[in-house]
Amino acid sequence: MRGRTNAGLVVGGALVGLVVLTAVASFFWTPHDPTLVDAAQKLREPGGGYPLGADKFGRDTFSQLMVGARTTLYVGIVAVGIAAALGVPLGMIAGMTPHGWLSELIMRVNDLVFAFPALLLAVMFGAVYGAGTLTAMIAIGVATVPAFARVARAATLQVMVTDYVLAARAAGRRRPAIAVRHVLPNIGSMLIVQASVSFAIAILAEAALSFLGFGTRPPTPSWGRMLQESQELLFSTPRLALWPGLAIALAVLGFNLLGDGLRDYLDPKLRRIR
Amino acid sequence: MRRIGIWIAVGGLLLATAACGGDSGGSASGTPKAQSLAVGFVAEPANLDFTSTEGAAIPQALLVNVYEGLVKLDQAGEIVPLLAEKWEVSGDRKTYTFTLRDNVTFSSGAPFTADDVVFSLDRVKSDWKLKIKSQLDVVDKVEKKDDSTAVVTLKQPSNGFLYAMATRLGAMFSRTGVSDLANKPVGTGPYTLGSWRRGDSIQLDANPSYWGTKPPLSSITLKYFKDATAMNNALLTGGIDVISSVQAPESLQQFADPNRFEVIEGTTNGEVVLSMNNDRPPFNDKKARQAVRHAIDHKALLDTAWAGRGGLIGSMVPPTDPWYEDRTGDYPYDPARAKQLLGGKTYDVKMRIPNLPYAVASAQVVKSQLAQVGITAEIEPLEFPARWLDQVFTKGDYDLSIINHVEPRDMGIFADKSYYFGYDNPEFGKLLASADQGTEQEQTDDLKQAAKLLSDDAAADWLFLFPNLIVAKKGVTGLPENAISESFDFTALAKQ
Amino acid sequence: MTLYLLKRLAVLMASTAVAAVVVFAFMALLPGDPAEIALGVNATPEAVAALREQFGTDRAPVVQFLDWFGGLVQGDFGTSYVTSSPIGPQIGDRLGVTAVLVLGGMAVALAVAVPLGTFAAVHHRDPLGAAISAASQVGIAIPAFLAGILFVFVFAVQAQVLPSGGYVPFAEDPGEWLRGLLLPWASLGLVQGAVLTRYVRSAVLDVMREDYLRTARAKGRGSTGALWRHGLRNASVPVVTVLGLQLATLLIGAVVVERVFVIPGLGDLLLNGVAGRDLLLVQGVVMVLVAAVLLINFAVDVAYHLLDPRLR
Repeated sequence: MRGRTNAGLVVGGALVGLVVLTAVASFFWTPHDPTLVDAAQKLREPGGGYPLGADKFGRDTFSQLMVGARTTLYVGIVAVGIAAALGVPLGMIAGMTPHGWLSELIMRVNDLVFAFPALLLAVMFGAVYGAGTLTAMIAIGVATVPAFARVARAATLQVMVTDYVLAARAAGRRRPAIAVRHVLPNIGSMLIVQASVSFAIAILAEAALSFLGFGTRPPTPSWGRMLQESQELLFSTPRLALWPGLAIALAVLGFNLLGDGLRDYLDPKLRRIR
Repeated sequence: MRRIGIWIAVGGLLLATAACGGDSGGSASGTPKAQSLAVGFVAEPANLDFTSTEGAAIPQALLVNVYEGLVKLDQAGEIVPLLAEKWEVSGDRKTYTFTLRDNVTFSSGAPFTADDVVFSLDRVKSDWKLKIKSQLDVVDKVEKKDDSTAVVTLKQPSNGFLYAMATRLGAMFSRTGVSDLANKPVGTGPYTLGSWRRGDSIQLDANPSYWGTKPPLSSITLKYFKDATAMNNALLTGGIDVISSVQAPESLQQFADPNRFEVIEGTTNGEVVLSMNNDRPPFNDKKARQAVRHAIDHKALLDTAWAGRGGLIGSMVPPTDPWYEDRTGDYPYDPARAKQLLGGKTYDVKMRIPNLPYAVASAQVVKSQLAQVGITAEIEPLEFPARWLDQVFTKGDYDLSIINHVEPRDMGIFADKSYYFGYDNPEFGKLLASADQGTEQEQTDDLKQAAKLLSDDAAADWLFLFPNLIVAKKGVTGLPENAISESFDFTALAKQ
Repeated sequence: MTLYLLKRLAVLMASTAVAAVVVFAFMALLPGDPAEIALGVNATPEAVAALREQFGTDRAPVVQFLDWFGGLVQGDFGTSYVTSSPIGPQIGDRLGVTAVLVLGGMAVALAVAVPLGTFAAVHHRDPLGAAISAASQVGIAIPAFLAGILFVFVFAVQAQVLPSGGYVPFAEDPGEWLRGLLLPWASLGLVQGAVLTRYVRSAVLDVMREDYLRTARAKGRGSTGALWRHGLRNASVPVVTVLGLQLATLLIGAVVVERVFVIPGLGDLLLNGVAGRDLLLVQGVVMVLVAAVLLINFAVDVAYHLLDPRLR
């Protein structure tokens, strides 16, 4: 059992690492300008400086995939960042004052936000502020806040009854100090796991939004939009859909495996059982 | 030709014919005539009242098919009789006397008489809410001479009047049939509204008491698709019989098998315009606009964005109009000249486009090509129609936009400086006014000059002429090859 | 239990009311005056003012909200500014279609997940169990719309055995109704099934570690038999929770799948409303979707209490 857990962690880590490396590399080098329209290269077959061929605009698929990785990470980081920045403090407050009115209020608001799923929020935000990457990311981020708040609250509840926190409270330490010194470090592992899983969900959400036309604006390369644009050529040039589809699936798989692997690795309870 | 109004349409989006799949027994048993057809369209009407709601989808479905006018446009773009048997024009070209057909009744059973002509045309002035109604401002009065004769008097001679009568403005309504235009259209046409499944389809049933040649089909279903691929798939799998307007031209090779499908490529009135805001910097400067025209490689744009289907034009006139001249040579692709015109300056501009396939595809090419000469365009797709209409069309808050102006003979929109182009050249307005009042030859000469002026001023750039691409199952006949009127004419549609 | 139910019910109603305020306030931010949009660009100010009065958008926002919310409580969603037809019946029709889509997708997900997840847990040391586990990871990584596009390509366009899309009402032709829904159900259900498989597997694994099952195994009885007798009820607690969460996901996933398969459901209505600036319609659809999610959460909480003996 241990061996397979690690395998998941390794494979997940490798896939995520590949996405990150590709995204970083795309800042310094891509074979071609990914948005340059070149009629002479329209639907060019792979080979000769175009490793994966070109799309109907003559844009290099490989370069687009590379820069698309950047978009993917950007979406994930901002969405997860918003969710964590709002959700973690709220969850910790709720967890540290489990019977107070504030805790009750936070969790009720949390339930309410939970009733607005990411896609619905993104469509609403898009309708008001205009569709685009940032709107989509904020919507996905806000919709993910409850997930972080719940995890942070549950983990905080556990930490609050441990001996060292009880000792710190007996010693008269104030709550903010306890939160920073004792709680946060101990719930960190659960939050990292949640971040990894939320990242995967954000990638899927961005793809779905791009498909509906509420995601990344053209011509910024995005895997979701590449997939959407390749639909009309699914019959004649299926590779145009294959590569972005594969990239999405591998990235999501990577983040999920990483999350699961980290959970098994970091959660002491699970480790004991196995 | 006065101002031809505004409505902006989705472009060829709207033209399809779909069979409702009710022919399940037909093909196998070799029945001579299928009873129904399903045609795939892109934009569903919001309601059925084209007197108060903008948009191409309503007249496309209803005009000629459900509502008829005194005259209509045939496939060659000629005005031919419909509910009027004939008409006479007075010597001063200000009085039109229409002789109406006998035995015409509305689908409600009420007879069609000169009273309905007076009612319908007066109603344009009193009740219509569309901007295009100004095309009939030239009408002074409409009178009934007897039951089958109606007389229209104009304020001044107008070449655009009869043409406008062939559009939805000339549709004949029953005096007792306008209580619920949004849901219950009452006309004299070969079809009547059968049922409407919102979000899905509209069924038109043959009108059993039609005055003319009875339509060959018992019903036609107009099926609406928001996704081009979904519409293609529906034809491939037999869900529909016709794609009224192909929105994914690269996919046409799916329909290459001549034993199964027929691809019809005709022409439209739809000029895909790269509009430039003449009202504010940087495109209030003629040189900047000219630079844009030189910076765009139109051939490459058409090849990549729309699979090379359609034609190139250099001004606001399609080749089917009598005053067409080839103006594609006015601004040849010349990035060096463009840079020179910009004087080495660079610009950041907003390109606010409708989220329609042709616009999104074209915008990416335009952006790439403008970047070569130092203009950075940020593409912002807006939901069509509402958001685009609000932000670009009404408020004029844009630098560049792309839209297919599908209305027939719509060069006049440039004469209105409050129009979203913000183009203001009094000379142009004078040419149009004189063309509308002049003789046929004067009209042609004036309009040729007007088109040249538009091009020279670089009032906008014309990316390409939208093609009329129809794909039908083999055996479907009577499809209109060219989409040059507001309606998708189902009159002759049949299936062998 | 009764007290819990009452308390939970009160929370549900309060949340729905607050959600209504949020939805209304949000829609008030939408740019564009519905009256101006309905009349087009050339409208006179008088006509706009008259229409505003007719729509009721000239009143104070609070009055407009109370009017709208009061109607909602009685099932009246108002009249669309764009189609001038009542919104309630439209939402009703579309809700039925979406509900069929979502429930069918859920059924497919359960049909896939329960046997596979249980099998993978019982055989978690075998290669086959591990393979199922791995396959479920891959399944999660595929967007539902991509699955839909691929299904259409394979089963409709290539094999020509199922329609590529469209919706035939049940009353019109039950056979075609079913044929048309098979691919959408599969697209929604298989991806969600992959997610659910993992939860079923881990729930069953947890149950297998419980003492009574260890005892049963120690007594030499087959673990499968004991699992059936004791375990499934306990394993169902976390699964029901996830199921509830997934119903909400499915509801939204349906929006995308409706687009792929041209199904006139709530998602289609919502996107149309947004494109056409049909403010009141969008407001109504969003409200219905949000209320549905709240209701599902409520049902999950209640089911949770009923299923888990420790909570009773």
